[in-house]
Amino acid sequence: MSPVLAAETAGSFPLLTAVVVLPAIGALVTALVSKRRPELAKQCAVLFAVATGALTIAVLAGFDTHAAGFQMIDHVRWVQDPQISWTMGVDGISLWMVVLTGILFPIAMLGAPPHHDEKPFYAWLLLLEAGCLGAFLALDLFVFFLMFEIVLVPMYFLISGWGYEGRRYAAMKFFLYTMFGSAFMLVGTVALAYLHAKGGPVTFDLRTIAEHQGVLSPQTGRWLFLSFAIAFGVKVPLVPLHTWLPDAHTQAPTGGSVILAGVMLKLGTYGFLRFGLYVFPEASVYFAPAMITLGVAGIIYGAICATMQQDLKRLVAYSSVAHLGFIILGTFSLTTQGIDGGVLQMINHGVSTGALFLLVGMIYERRHTREIAKLKGLQRSAPVMAGVFTLVMLSSIGLPGLNGFVGEYLTLLGAFLTHRWWAVVAVTGVILASLYLLWAYQRVFHGTPDEANADMPDLRWTERLVMAPLIVIIVFMGVYPKPVLDRIEPSVKKLVQHIETNTHYREPKAPKVRPAPAAGGQTASQGKAGK
Amino acid sequence: MMLASTLGPTPYLVLGAVLFTVGAVGLLVRRNPLVMFMCIELMLNATNLTFVTFARQLDDVGGQVIVFFVLVVAAAEVVIGLGIIVGILRRRPGATADDLRLMKG
Amino acid sequence: MTSLLFAQLGTPHRIQTPSVAWSGLLPVLVLLGGAVVLMVVGALLPRRSRHSWHLWLTLLIAAGSIGCAVPLWFRVRDHGPLSILRDAVRVDGLALFLGIVIVVGVMLAALLTDGYLRREELEGPEPYVLLMLSATGGLLMASANDLIVMFLGLEILSLAVYVLAGLHVRRLRSGEAAMKYFVLGGFSSAFFLYGIALAYGATGSTNLTDIQRFLATNTLTNNGLLLASFALLLVGFGFKVAAAPFHSWAPDVYEGSPSPVVSFMASAVKAAAFAGLIRVFVYAFALDRHDWQPIVYVVAVLTLLVGSVLAVVQTNVKRMLAYSSINHAGFVLVGVQAASDRGVRSALFYLATYTFMVAGSFGVVTIVGRRGDNRHQLDDYKGLARTEPLLAFAFLVFLLAQAGVPFTSGLWAKFYVIGAAVEARSFWLALVAMLSTVISAFLYLRIVLAMYGGADEADEAAPAVPRLRIPFAARIALVVSVVATIGFGLVPGPLTHASKTAVPKIAAGK
Repeated sequence: MSPVLAAETAGSFPLLTAVVVLPAIGALVTALVSKRRPELAKQCAVLFAVATGALTIAVLAGFDTHAAGFQMIDHVRWVQDPQISWTMGVDGISLWMVVLTGILFPIAMLGAPPHHDEKPFYAWLLLLEAGCLGAFLALDLFVFFLMFEIVLVPMYFLISGWGYEGRRYAAMKFFLYTMFGSAFMLVGTVALAYLHAKGGPVTFDLRTIAEHQGVLSPQTGRWLFLSFAIAFGVKVPLVPLHTWLPDAHTQAPTGGSVILAGVMLKLGTYGFLRFGLYVFPEASVYFAPAMITLGVAGIIYGAICATMQQDLKRLVAYSSVAHLGFIILGTFSLTTQGIDGGVLQMINHGVSTGALFLLVGMIYERRHTREIAKLKGLQRSAPVMAGVFTLVMLSSIGLPGLNGFVGEYLTLLGAFLTHRWWAVVAVTGVILASLYLLWAYQRVFHGTPDEANADMPDLRWTERLVMAPLIVIIVFMGVYPKPVLDRIEPSVKKLVQHIETNTHYREPKAPKVRPAPAAGGQTASQGKAGK
Repeated sequence: MMLASTLGPTPYLVLGAVLFTVGAVGLLVRRNPLVMFMCIELMLNATNLTFVTFARQLDDVGGQVIVFFVLVVAAAEVVIGLGIIVGILRRRPGATADDLRLMKG
Repeated sequence: MTSLLFAQLGTPHRIQTPSVAWSGLLPVLVLLGGAVVLMVVGALLPRRSRHSWHLWLTLLIAAGSIGCAVPLWFRVRDHGPLSILRDAVRVDGLALFLGIVIVVGVMLAALLTDGYLRREELEGPEPYVLLMLSATGGLLMASANDLIVMFLGLEILSLAVYVLAGLHVRRLRSGEAAMKYFVLGGFSSAFFLYGIALAYGATGSTNLTDIQRFLATNTLTNNGLLLASFALLLVGFGFKVAAAPFHSWAPDVYEGSPSPVVSFMASAVKAAAFAGLIRVFVYAFALDRHDWQPIVYVVAVLTLLVGSVLAVVQTNVKRMLAYSSINHAGFVLVGVQAASDRGVRSALFYLATYTFMVAGSFGVVTIVGRRGDNRHQLDDYKGLARTEPLLAFAFLVFLLAQAGVPFTSGLWAKFYVIGAAVEARSFWLALVAMLSTVISAFLYLRIVLAMYGGADEADEAAPAVPRLRIPFAARIALVVSVVATIGFGLVPGPLTHASKTAVPKIAAGK
C-alpha cells in the first residue's frame, strides 16, 4: 500500500485525510456508475458530497476552540528527498474554509443539476471538492501546490463541458491564467524550500519553513513573496489579473459558478494568509501598502464595472471582484480585526455570492436569458424568489443584522487602524455595492412584468430547500457571529504575533472608543456587530 | 613525413577546417540529394584529416585507428543514404530537395 | 605504422587483446543477437500477414535484455561501475538506467508497430529488427566512456532510425522524412565527429576518463580548441535531442515518419542522446562547466520557447507533439545545465517518465491516424471522447501529464528539474521553463477541447466514420503507459530512488 492513503498517525482516525480522500473516492465511484443510470450517478455523488459535508461538520465539532495552532494533524511521509509529506492540519482560519466547502458542494449539486452528461459532471465536481479541501488543509507547501493546481482540471472541464455559449474561450482563459500564476508559484515554492534548506535536507513542511524565519535575506523573501503573490493574485483575483473572472463566472454552469465564487476564489485569499503572511512576514509588511492599494482598486473597479453590466451574472461576477478586494484589504491591514474580518468575509462571500449565483441560475433556467433588460417585474410572478433574492442581496451589500455587515465592519475597522485613508476610500465601495445591487434588483424584480415574465414559475420546493441552509447561515452569522469569531480569533492573533516577532511591525492598539482593549475589545466589536 | 616536419600541423588542420566548412556550406546550399550526400562525405573526411594530423602531432596511434572506424561508418551511411534516395527516386524520378516539400519545413 | 602491424602478425605469439567482461555487455549483446536471430528467422520463414510472433519475439528479447540489466544494476550499485574494453565502455548506474529506459521505449514502440504494420499492410520483421539494432546503438551510447564508442553508438542508433523513418514505402511523406532526417542527421554526426577530433587534439585522448584527468591536471594556456569542440559536440547532441537552433528537422520528420517510429524517436533516441550529453559535458567536462553552462543555458531557453511558442500555431497533432517534444527536451536541458548530481537525477527522471507519456501519446496518434497514417489534423480528433471514451481518456492523461498537472508523473519530472535549476541558482531559467509550460498547456488544451468539446457542433451531420480499430498490442502499450504515468504521479518514490542510485555522488569537479 502506498503511504499516500495509509495515513495512520498516533493511532487516531485521520479525520482530515478522510475529508480530502472521501470526495476523491466519490468521484471515482461516480465515474464508474453505469452510463445508463444517470440518476444513480447523481444520488451517489450527492451522497458522497453530503457525507463529506458531515465529516467537515465533525471537524468543526471536534475543533478545540481556544487552541491557536494547527490541530488534528495527519502526517505521512510521501517522498524522501526532498522531504514531502502528506501533512493535513486545521486551524481557526482553514476550519471555516473547510466547513464552507463541505456545505456549498452539496448545495451546488442539488441546486443546479446539469442538462446533459450527469455522470461526468458530478464526478468532476467531487474531484474539485477533494482538491479544494486538500488545498485548505495542506500543511506542506508542495501538497498545497498540488491541490491548488489540480482544481484547475475539473473546473476546466466543468466550464468547457457544461457552460454557456462562450464556454470554451472562458475555460481556456481560466486555465491558462491560473496556470500562469502557478508557474510562478511552483518556482517560488521550490526555491523557497531549497534556499531555506541552505544545503541541508530540503523540506517542504510549512511549519518548519514558516517558524524558522531569518534564514532568507529580506530581499530573497520579497522576491519569493512576489512569486506566490502572482499565483494568489490571479486566483483572488487582484485587479490587473482579474480579466479571466467575468468570463469564467458568466460562462460556467450555475454549479460551477457557485463553487468558483464560493470556494475557489478563497484559495487565493487563504493562500495570502497562510503562505503570504505566515511564511513571509517581512515581505508581507513590506508589500502591505501595495497589496492594500490593489485591494481597494479592486473594490472600486469591481463596483464600477458591476454597475455598468447588462448581464445579471456578469454583474454578480464583478461584485465578487469588489468583495474580494475587501478581503485583501482586511488581510493586509495586518491587524487582528482586519484579518478576522477578512476571514469572516471569505465565508460571507462564499455564502452570499454562492446564493446569488444559484438564484441567477434559477432565473436563467426559467427565462433562458441573463440580460437585465429582458427581465422585468419578476416580483409579481415569483414572490418567494424575490424575497430570497432581497435577503441575499442585502447580505451581499452588508446590511447590519446580516452576515455581510460583520465582516465588512471588522475589515474596515482593521484597515482604519493602519491605513486610514484607504479605509475611507473603501467605504465608498460599500455605497457603490448598494447602488449596483439595488439598481439591478429594481430593474429585474420591480415594475409590471411583460408577457414573457408574467408567468415565470416561482421557486419549487426543492429549490427552497436548497436555499434554506444558505439563508439560515446568512441570518445566523449576522445576528450571532460570536461562535465563528471565537474560533477564528486565536489563530489570527497568533498569526499577527508571528508577524510582530519576526518584523519591526507592531500592531496598533484597538481604538479607545471601546472600553477594554485586546480580547475585550473584540467582544465589544462583536457585540456591536451583532446588535 | 617530410612535409609534416617542415610545415607543422597547422596547415593540415586549416585544410581540414576548410574542407569541413566547404562540406557544411555545400550541404546547406546544394539541392541535389546526391551532392548533399557527397558533402556529408566531405565533412567526414575532413574530420579524418584532422584526426590523422592530431594523431601525428600527439604521436598517438589512437587517432589513426579512429579514421578506420569513421571510414566504416561513412560506408554504412552511404548504403543507407543511397537506399533512401533510390527509394524516393523510384517513386518520383528526378527529385531534388526542393521537391521534397510535402511537409512545410 | 604498417610495419608495426606486420611485426605483430609475424610473431608467433598470440595478439594481445584486452580482456572483456562480457557479462557487463550482456544487455547490448542480447539485443544485438536477438535482432540478428529475428532477421534470419524472419527471412527463412514464409511471410504472412500475421506478424504477431515477430512482436512477441521482440518483446521477449527486450525483456531478456532488461533481465540481464537488472542483476548488473544491483552489482553496479553494490560494487561500483564496471569498466569494460580498456575503459572504452563503462557500465554504471547512468548507463543501466537509461539503457532500461531505451529498451522500454523499444517495447512500447514494438507494441504499437504490430497493429500499424497490419493496418498499413506492411511486411516483415525488419521494423522490429531495426528497432532493436537502433536500441543497441542507444545502449552503447549510454555506456560509452570513449568518444569514439559514443560516435559509433550514435551512428548505429541513427542509421537504423533513418531507415525506420522511411519504413512506410508507399507513403511519400515517409520517404521524405527519412531523407530529411538522414541528411540532417549525417550533417550533425559530422559536426559531432569534428568536435571529437578537436577534443582529441586539445586533450590528447578520446577516453572520457583520460580527458577528465587531463583537464584536472593541466591548465590549458589556450582553450580555444576545447571551446570549439564544446560547441561542435553540442551541435551534434542538439540535433539528436532536437534542441532549439537545431530543431527544424523534428516537426517534419515526426510528421512524415510512421507514428510508432516517432514514439521511438521521441523517447529512446532522446534518452540515448541525453545520456551522451550528460556523460560528455556533466562528467568529462565537469571542470570546464563554467565554459559550457552558459551555452547550454541559452540553448535551453531557446528550446523551451521554440517548443512552446511555435507549437501554438500548428494544426497537425503530430507536429504539435513534435514541438512539445522539443519543449520537453528543453526541460531536460535545464536539468543538464545545473551540472550537478541533482540535475542529472532530474534529467534521468524526466526521460524515464517522458518515455511513457510520449509513447502513449504517439500510440493514440497511431490509432487515430487510421489507414494511411494521414489523419492527424486537429479536426480528426473531434468528438473522440464520445466515440472512443477510453482512448480519449488515455490521451487526456498523457496530455495533462505533459502539461505538468498534479498527480501525474509529468509534474514530478518538472518539479525535480526545477529543483535542480533552483539549486544551481538558475532561477530565471526555472521560471522560463515553467512559463513555457503554460504556453504548451494551451496547445494540449486545444487537443483536449477537440476531443471533449464539440457536442453541439454541426458535426452531427458529418458522414459517419467507421469506428477506430484499436489493436490488442497497442491497447497493452496504452494501458501500460497510462498506469506508469499516473502510478509514478502518485508514488514517485521508486523511480526517484532509482534515479538517485543511478547517479551516485560523484565528486566530479567539486
